[in-house]
Amino acid sequence: MATGGGQQERPTRPSSFSRVSSSSFSPASSSSTSTSLPPGVRIGANGAAFVSSGIPDLDRILGGGFLVGSVVMVMEDADAPHHLLLLRNFMSQGIVHGQSVLFAGPTKEPRSFLGTLPSPVVQKEGLKIKHDVSDVQDKEKGLRIAWQYKKYFGEQTAVDSHNRDKKQEFSSDFDLRKPLERQLLNSQNVECISTQDAFDLSKLQNHCLTFVSKLSMKDGINSNAGRIAIQSLCAPQCGYFEKDWDMLSFIRSLRATVQSSNAVAVITFPASVLSNSISKRWQHLADTLLSIRAIPDKDLAKLLTGYQDMLGFLHVHKVAQFNSQVPVILDASTYSLKLQKRKSLVLERLNQAPVEGSSGVSYATSGSCSSSKGSLLDF
Amino acid sequence: MAEGLIVRSLRDGSLPGEHAPALCLEDSLTPPLASHSHAVFRHLLTSLLSTGTGTAVVLVAFHRSPSFYLSLLSPTFHNSIRLLDCYSDPLAWKSNHHPPPSSHSPQNITLLTNLNHLPHFLSSILHLAKDFGAQGHDRVTVAIDSVTHMLRHAPLPSVLQLLTNLRCHEKISSLFWLIHTDLHEPKVISSFEYISTMIASLQPIVQLPDYANANISASITSLEENYSKAKFNVRLKRRNGRVKLLCEELLIEQGSVKFSSVPSVSSVVAQNLIPKVQFNIQLSDKERMDRANVVLPFEHQGNGQNIEIYDGRRSLSESQKDPSSIKIGGLSEQKRSNNNKSEKGEIHYIRDSDDEQPDSDEDPDDDLDI
Repeated sequence: MATGGGQQERPTRPSSFSRVSSSSFSPASSSSTSTSLPPGVRIGANGAAFVSSGIPDLDRILGGGFLVGSVVMVMEDADAPHHLLLLRNFMSQGIVHGQSVLFAGPTKEPRSFLGTLPSPVVQKEGLKIKHDVSDVQDKEKGLRIAWQYKKYFGEQTAVDSHNRDKKQEFSSDFDLRKPLERQLLNSQNVECISTQDAFDLSKLQNHCLTFVSKLSMKDGINSNAGRIAIQSLCAPQCGYFEKDWDMLSFIRSLRATVQSSNAVAVITFPASVLSNSISKRWQHLADTLLSIRAIPDKDLAKLLTGYQDMLGFLHVHKVAQFNSQVPVILDASTYSLKLQKRKSLVLERLNQAPVEGSSGVSYATSGSCSSSKGSLLDF
Repeated sequence: MAEGLIVRSLRDGSLPGEHAPALCLEDSLTPPLASHSHAVFRHLLTSLLSTGTGTAVVLVAFHRSPSFYLSLLSPTFHNSIRLLDCYSDPLAWKSNHHPPPSSHSPQNITLLTNLNHLPHFLSSILHLAKDFGAQGHDRVTVAIDSVTHMLRHAPLPSVLQLLTNLRCHEKISSLFWLIHTDLHEPKVISSFEYISTMIASLQPIVQLPDYANANISASITSLEENYSKAKFNVRLKRRNGRVKLLCEELLIEQGSVKFSSVPSVSSVVAQNLIPKVQFNIQLSDKERMDRANVVLPFEHQGNGQNIEIYDGRRSLSESQKDPSSIKIGGLSEQKRSNNNKSEKGEIHYIRDSDDEQPDSDEDPDDDLDI
C-alpha cells in the first residue's frame, strides 16, 4: 500500500545506529548488535554513534570521535594550511573503512587533493596483543575504583571489552609521508566537486542531497556511513563569496540533511575573511567547532616545551553532545599539533618550559590566562 | 633583512609543485605613508630588475602612466619590462571616439581598455609573459600597481580568482601588488592577505600625540621624523606553516628608499599568543635516571668516601676537610668541642621512595602512630 511504503521510507531520526542500540537497552550487551554496525562506526556514551576523525588523539579529546549526524566546523588560520591535515586524515579514514566520501574544494582540480591523502600505518602483531592484556588489567582496576574516580581512567571503563578488540580498527594511525593506494581512491564511493567557479551554492547543495540519499537507499541497518568534506567553504576566490546569506542557508540545509542521515560533514572555513557578525553565525551553526592557529617562528620557544616540533595549535571550542543535557567540559582546550617521527599527527597538551631563575618574564605570562588578539580563546 | 628576504623570495619564485609567492603591500592614508608605500613599490621593482639574473617583469600600471615607470629605470632594463597600460584609457573613452594610432606606443607598452572583462585581462598579462619566454627569460614577475583600481572595475571574487590563476600559472614565478587599505572593508583586505604569502605594511615611527595631555610642541617637531622614516612590518608565511614577523626601519631620501634593521620586539607578540599551559610534572626517563644518581648532601661527605651518616663526635680537623659537613653541622660541632661533652647527635636520612608520587598522601600525618 502506498501509505505503508511511505512509512518505511521515512528517514530514521536522528541516526539509525543509535536506534539500534537503544532497543537492546543495555550497553554491556551491545556485542550482539555491534556485529550489525558498519565498519568504522562505534557506539559510545549515551548510545550515540561515532565515526573516527582519523586522528586517535582527537577522538579521545572529543569523547569518542565525530558524532554521526553532526556538522564539524574547523576555523582555518589564514597563515597556515594545517586544516588540510585534519581533512586528509578524515577522508583517509573514511576511505580505509570503505565509507562513501564527498569532497568539495575551491580549486580547479579537486581530484588532485586525493593524491595527498595518507595511508594507514601497518600495525605490528605484538603491539596488538599487549594492548589486550593491559585492557584486562584496567578492567579489574575499574571494579574497585569508586564512581567518582572513574574520570581519571578516561572512557576505558565505558567501552566494554568486546568492542576493545575492534578499537584498533576504529581509528588508524596515518603515515603522512605515504600516499593512499590508487585503487582505493578510484572506487565509486569517492566524489569530488570544485567550488571555485560556482556562482551560487545550489550545485553543491544538490550534490550533497544526492550523496546523502544514496546512503540511506540501502536497507536500514547495514547502510554505510558517509563523510562529506568541504574545504574552505567561504574562500574568497569562489564566485559566491559576497553572498553571505546564501552561504548561511546552505550550511543550515546541510545541517538538516546530515542530521537525519548517517553522514558526518566537516567544513573548513577561513574565519578572517568573513565579517564579524557573519563569522559568529557560522560558528553557531556548528555542532563541533575546532580552530587552528599558526605559531610564530621563534617567539614562544622560551615559554613552551617541545616547540621545535610543533606545527600549530588546535583549539576546541565546542563539542557535540547527543542524548545528554550535560555539556562536555574539557580540562584543556588548546592542543599542539605535532608530527610524531615526521609521519603521524598527534595532539599534545601544552607544557610550559622550565622557568629560568634569571628571567621572571615567563612566570608572569603563565600565571595569567591571557587572551589572544581578538580570537575566541576563552578560559 | 626583511626587505632582503622579500626580494629574494620574489626573485627565487616558486618551487615546482607550489604556487608562486605573492606579496601584498599595504598602503594607508596616515600621512605621509601614502607616498612611502609607493616608494617601496618602486624600490622593489628596481631591485628585482637591476640584479641581472634574468628576472623579467610585467607591470600592470593603473596609478601612474607607463612613461613614469620607464623613466625610473635605466634604459638597459627597458627590455626586461613590459607594461600593461591601464592608466591612459581605462573606460575606453578615447578609443571609442578616436581609434588609437597603431604605431604610436613604444614597443613594450600595451594599451588595455576593456577592464571589465577579467578573462581578457588575464590573457593579456599571460600574453606579455609568454613574449618574455621567447626572449629567454623564464622567470616572469607580475607587479600590479594597485589592486584598488582593479576592484573599481570588477567584483572581488573575480579579482581574487585572477590573482590565484596567476599564481598557479607555470609562466609566472612571483607576484606582488599594492593595495590601499583605507579604501576597502576589512574583509576585503583580509581576503587579499589570505591569498598572499607575504604581507608588508608601513607604520609611522612617531605616533600622533594625544593632544589633550602631551607636551605638544616637543612632539610635533618629532613628527617631522615621519616624513623621512617609517616602520616596515612584514609577515611571512613560511613553508613549514609558521609565521615570521619582522620589523625594520625605512629611510626615505630623495625618492630612494633605504632599509635598516631595528631590534625586534618579540615579547609583546609572545604575551598575546600564549594560551593556557600546564606545568609538565612528569619526568622523562632520562630525568628519572639522573635523579636516581644524585647523591644528596646528607648522604655523602664530599670527598668520595662511602656514604656515611654524619656523626656529631667527629673532631674539628676532620670536619674541616669536608665542606658539606661544615655547611650542615659546623656550628654545632664547634659548640660541642667547646663544651667537651660527647653528645650523640646523629642524622639519619632516608630518602623517600621513588614510587611515591608527589602529593599522593592525602594526609601526611597518617604514618604517625599516636
